[in-house]
Amino acid sequence: MTSVAAVLAAGVPALPLFGAIAPLLARTPRQADRLALAVAFPTAAAALALAVIELAHGGALHGGWYLIDGASAVLLAVTATVGLCSVLASPAYLRAHREDASTTQRQPAWYYAALFVFWAALLAVPIVGNLAVVWLVVEATTAASALLVAFGGTRDALEAGWKYLVLTTLGLSVALLGIVVLAVEQTKAGHLGLGALDWHSLQSAAHTLPATPTLAAFVLLLAGLATKIGWAPVHNWLPDAHSEAPAPISAMLSAALLPSVLLVAWRVKEALQPSVGVATTRAVFVGFGLASIFVAVPFLWRSLPWKRLLAYSSLEHMGVIALGIGIGTPLAIAGVVLHIAGHALAKSLGFYAALPLLRDDKRAARQAPDGVAAQRRSTAAAMGVSLVALAGLPPSPLFVSELLILLAGVTAGELLVSAVALIGLALGFLGLLHALIESVIGGEAETTPKRLRLGSTRAMVALTSGFGGGLLALAATGMLLPGSGFIETLARGGL
Amino acid sequence: MSSWIVSAMVVLAIGVIGVRRRSVAIVLVGAQSLALSIGALELSSGRSGSFLVAAFVLLSKAALLPLLLYALMRRTREARLVVAAAGPLVRMAGAGMLALFAAIAVPPLGLGNAHTAHMAVALVLIGIAIVVARRPAFFQLLGLIVAENGVSLLAVSVPGGLSYVIELGALFDLGLIVTVAGVFALRIHSQLGTGDTELLRALRD
Repeated sequence: MTSVAAVLAAGVPALPLFGAIAPLLARTPRQADRLALAVAFPTAAAALALAVIELAHGGALHGGWYLIDGASAVLLAVTATVGLCSVLASPAYLRAHREDASTTQRQPAWYYAALFVFWAALLAVPIVGNLAVVWLVVEATTAASALLVAFGGTRDALEAGWKYLVLTTLGLSVALLGIVVLAVEQTKAGHLGLGALDWHSLQSAAHTLPATPTLAAFVLLLAGLATKIGWAPVHNWLPDAHSEAPAPISAMLSAALLPSVLLVAWRVKEALQPSVGVATTRAVFVGFGLASIFVAVPFLWRSLPWKRLLAYSSLEHMGVIALGIGIGTPLAIAGVVLHIAGHALAKSLGFYAALPLLRDDKRAARQAPDGVAAQRRSTAAAMGVSLVALAGLPPSPLFVSELLILLAGVTAGELLVSAVALIGLALGFLGLLHALIESVIGGEAETTPKRLRLGSTRAMVALTSGFGGGLLALAATGMLLPGSGFIETLARGGL
Repeated sequence: MSSWIVSAMVVLAIGVIGVRRRSVAIVLVGAQSLALSIGALELSSGRSGSFLVAAFVLLSKAALLPLLLYALMRRTREARLVVAAAGPLVRMAGAGMLALFAAIAVPPLGLGNAHTAHMAVALVLIGIAIVVARRPAFFQLLGLIVAENGVSLLAVSVPGGLSYVIELGALFDLGLIVTVAGVFALRIHSQLGTGDTELLRALRD
């Protein structure tokens, strides 16, 4: 099984990387769509197979350069699913883009090439077993995805892409500074070469590392990664990039990129905790978590364009995950795992629903939608399912995960943190419920209902049913997670 | 690494935040990259052959980067000067204060040479300050390079040397980011007729 895993670990990022060339060979946009699909299915299948192998294996799968544990498996499954769905949704986006803007025949090919490079880097993040190499991969996600954010070609898209590129690159420079500080300490301890920065080498050596430089490295790493995760107060790029990127890319940014980089931050915590101390790591994660939740809440209450509302919701949910990782007990980790998966499904469904929404009503890009249910029922259904799930209304898996994290806080003695988080989550819940009533269910349609394309309606219904079913299945699975061997292994933090 | 090389790198960075002409800024960033590679070559005696390779790659970067930046500058001619919010002396004084802050406030980072560690952090801070203080996309790109040079300075100063895989990877990533940022700078210029990012401020809540 280990040899199969080794082959798959190399193949999973390699497939989309080589696949990025395929759409460039296409002569027409339609050919590019088909070639992209031909690459996407085997990529997703390989990533899901690797995730299943890891879950069946139980413990972490180690190799010379890779480390695949339970958290990797969850991220692989999420990134494979969202990546495949984004490729499937891309022809609809590119068609609408061709109708709106003066585009060249080659643009779809370049779009797919950048998408596959971005997907390859995203799939590599949870697999790579070395801090320095994973930094390089995270930096590569910036280069590919910045071009995709600006793909729309508008002035706003350009602004969002530039802001994203500059801020996250600076953040990652700060993180690299932290990596170098760690490398210095490892070298002094006699651990030389690239292997000294392997996750398990760092963890096994952490208790011998001096406290002050290791704390400096931890703070630099977390501050740098926070910029890429979009934690408050270094989240400025997030609402702009998520709202201006093509909808399939927004789904990948929110559902896969943010939690993937969060996994790196989680591993940094697990690796350096023996030196830095539980209290410090908990304070840093809980601090970022609460700040992100409370910075997001006022925006969830405002009447924002649909994709911008979803972007601020991402800020809130990354805060919830940070809170869970900070608390760090098995109950909290069960909540974290469920939250990553549930947020990915709910958020990507919301972004895919933006495709028909923006196609039928161009004003929805700049203002809050109004009376969607009266005009486009299939779109309204998708938006409704997404909002209900993101708000954490039962039976959403995010209700279960938030409950688990709050309970974990109480049982860990963090009563004040849990109470403050509960207030923030309740306010966020009311904000999203308000958006559901005002934008999706209520309000009057300002234009006459349009005749919808049958194919797109069917696709939206199928997507909503699939993702809705997936969310219910996740909620049911969430009940079984606490106390399971999978969670106990993850919570022990072995890398 | 000689302390005068390290200090020169910081002085050159302070120059980048102050100068008006892009061509002068390219020369300063090129000189900074050259100083870094000379410092790395100086350290390579007594270290592994792979470190020597990394030092030569840094030297190639010092040669290629200014050419790339010059080509970008030629393709994005500014019709008029982009006025900064603060004057050059204020900007340079601010950058000097950041260097001073790094020298006083940054805790020991474990390097044998505390001066190098402090100046590396100062370079990262000045790089961030360039991005904040300079409005043209071109200067913001130079800010990213200055910050990366700060990290590279710390990396080459690690006793025994950091793994060349990391250094080469970081250089590859820098090349990638500079290329993508160059594409953005071209598109910003073609859309706005200037590289002034102050005009890209429509996205607010």
